[in-house]
Amino acid sequence: MSYVELEHTADVKLRVEAGTLEELFSEAVRALMVTMYGTADPGTREIQVEVHAGDLVGLIHDLLSEALFLSEVNDVVFASAELTIEGGSVHGILRGEPFDPARHRGGSEVKGISYSGLKLWKGDDTYILDIILDV
Amino acid sequence: MLAGIKKIGPFEWEVPQGFVPNMRVPGRFFLSDALMETLEEGAVQQLANVATMPGIVKNSLAMPDIHWGYGFPIGGVAAFDRDQGVISPGGVGFDINCGVRLLSTPLRVEEIVNRRELIERLFSAVPTGVGAKSTLRLSAQELEAMLLKGSAWAVDHGYGTAKDIIRCEEQGQMKSADPSAVSSKARQRGMPQSGTLGSGNHFLEVQEVREIYNNGAAQRMGLSIGQVCIMIHCGSRGLGHQVCTDHLKVLEGATKRYKISLPDRQLACAPLDSPEGRAYFGAMAAAANYAWANRQVIMHMARGVLSSLYGIGEDEMPLIYDVAHNVAKFEEHRVDGNLRQLCVHRKGATRAFGPNSPDIPPEFADIGQPVIIPGSMGTSSYLLNGTQQAMERTFGSTCHGAGRVMSRSKAKKELSGHEVKEALEHEGIIVRAPSVGAIVDEAPEVYKPSAEVVKVVHEVGISRLIARLEPMGVIKG
Repeated sequence: MSYVELEHTADVKLRVEAGTLEELFSEAVRALMVTMYGTADPGTREIQVEVHAGDLVGLIHDLLSEALFLSEVNDVVFASAELTIEGGSVHGILRGEPFDPARHRGGSEVKGISYSGLKLWKGDDTYILDIILDV
Repeated sequence: MLAGIKKIGPFEWEVPQGFVPNMRVPGRFFLSDALMETLEEGAVQQLANVATMPGIVKNSLAMPDIHWGYGFPIGGVAAFDRDQGVISPGGVGFDINCGVRLLSTPLRVEEIVNRRELIERLFSAVPTGVGAKSTLRLSAQELEAMLLKGSAWAVDHGYGTAKDIIRCEEQGQMKSADPSAVSSKARQRGMPQSGTLGSGNHFLEVQEVREIYNNGAAQRMGLSIGQVCIMIHCGSRGLGHQVCTDHLKVLEGATKRYKISLPDRQLACAPLDSPEGRAYFGAMAAAANYAWANRQVIMHMARGVLSSLYGIGEDEMPLIYDVAHNVAKFEEHRVDGNLRQLCVHRKGATRAFGPNSPDIPPEFADIGQPVIIPGSMGTSSYLLNGTQQAMERTFGSTCHGAGRVMSRSKAKKELSGHEVKEALEHEGIIVRAPSVGAIVDEAPEVYKPSAEVVKVVHEVGISRLIARLEPMGVIKG
């Protein structure tokens, strides 16, 4: 599981890669959090998540939008997710640590997850996701 | 130069129908030769994509700060017919009514002996940056009233004066706001964030009037060389972001239901008179009101700091004007000789109504609507006025800022926050931010030169220069 930041003039474009779809979604949540807070370290706070959408692209879009919402209103920085993807839903647990102003002020506030440029495909051995975050 | 686009005037370019399939009208954008090298193919593609949307009138437009966004390009303007047209959150953006206001003071630049103290006091007074919490303790009822009344809510609660309201686009309140279309999730995000500046390109800047181009207009607005002003740039915070996210999902379904074919999912839209379109419009207007209240509260905090440091009263610090950069509104425009009711989307663009247009403060009616164009950190900002040219060519619109030219990732690789801060301080500009990362992200080098962008709109005549302001100090999120 890994992610890198790609060139994008106005916003933040990320490429996420993982062996399974579940790992891909979990890594995308971590990438979102690192973008927002500068760092995302393991912790014990757990929050349930569940979203429904018509396709995989819709699912990752909605999962990240939900993670953004849950992080902001619960003051938690998620570092990982245990997720199950079945049919038109993804559900599971987001896990992380409480927001700490002393350590979590190094990122850029993400306003939303964009459908523009959002792509998910299967490579030779891995799943790959390109996503643009509006900051 | 991109294949397929045509230069049709000294600063004007056309993207012909056929550039992408199914364009209903041509695209047009304004750019100088000097700025051509900053033009991204992705931005032109997005401008062309907008031209495929149902009910678009005349042209899909972009201002000279055009750049690659999501859905619409940043700097995009499009008007849709009230009966046959659509509304799209992709034409407004996540940060609904991100906007800017300019406040004047009676202070002269030489009176600010200790700039650092002023900036530190402002930084302490205004909650700033990721995770910052409001000092307001809003109840659910008060949030509801804020969504309905906008700036007037803030004034009713002691944040500023009734005179401030007249000096805002829409008088700081879109009357068609429908709070019932704002979800509980959006409210949960909005409650603790009202009166906070946010992060990214949002800022509060202390500025000095350095140059005046139109003496009569500057005088009418109470501005003279060497005068200290305050500029505030922020939007509707998490509440507006959530309204966009929520309604994008609804409108995705509506796009299929109404059999609208689109080249980009982020352009999801619905007919203006459909239940889904009306719900988004009502929620967007409520979020816009929240943003106006937000800027009003932050301005009040800044006035408080100036009052306590320099012993000046609120009535000595009038608001010059407040404009929205990301919004869709119903307006009447003359198209090919006929007056038409249109829904004008401005995404990173500023309304620039000409003299004697509706919704301009009476004292500025003969000048035209004040237009405020913020520079990037450390560069010039400008005050202009709207024109009849804008009414005729751009549905009363102009640019909104400088427009980025360098990505955040590249900025982080090539620039150091400490060095950027030191270089600005060397020029006498004090920068205060919660992290050095925030400073690198918005360094002067990452933006197009604001002077060149403003030159284009001035030369084209879609707004005209009144004054140039230079930064003295800035607080950033």
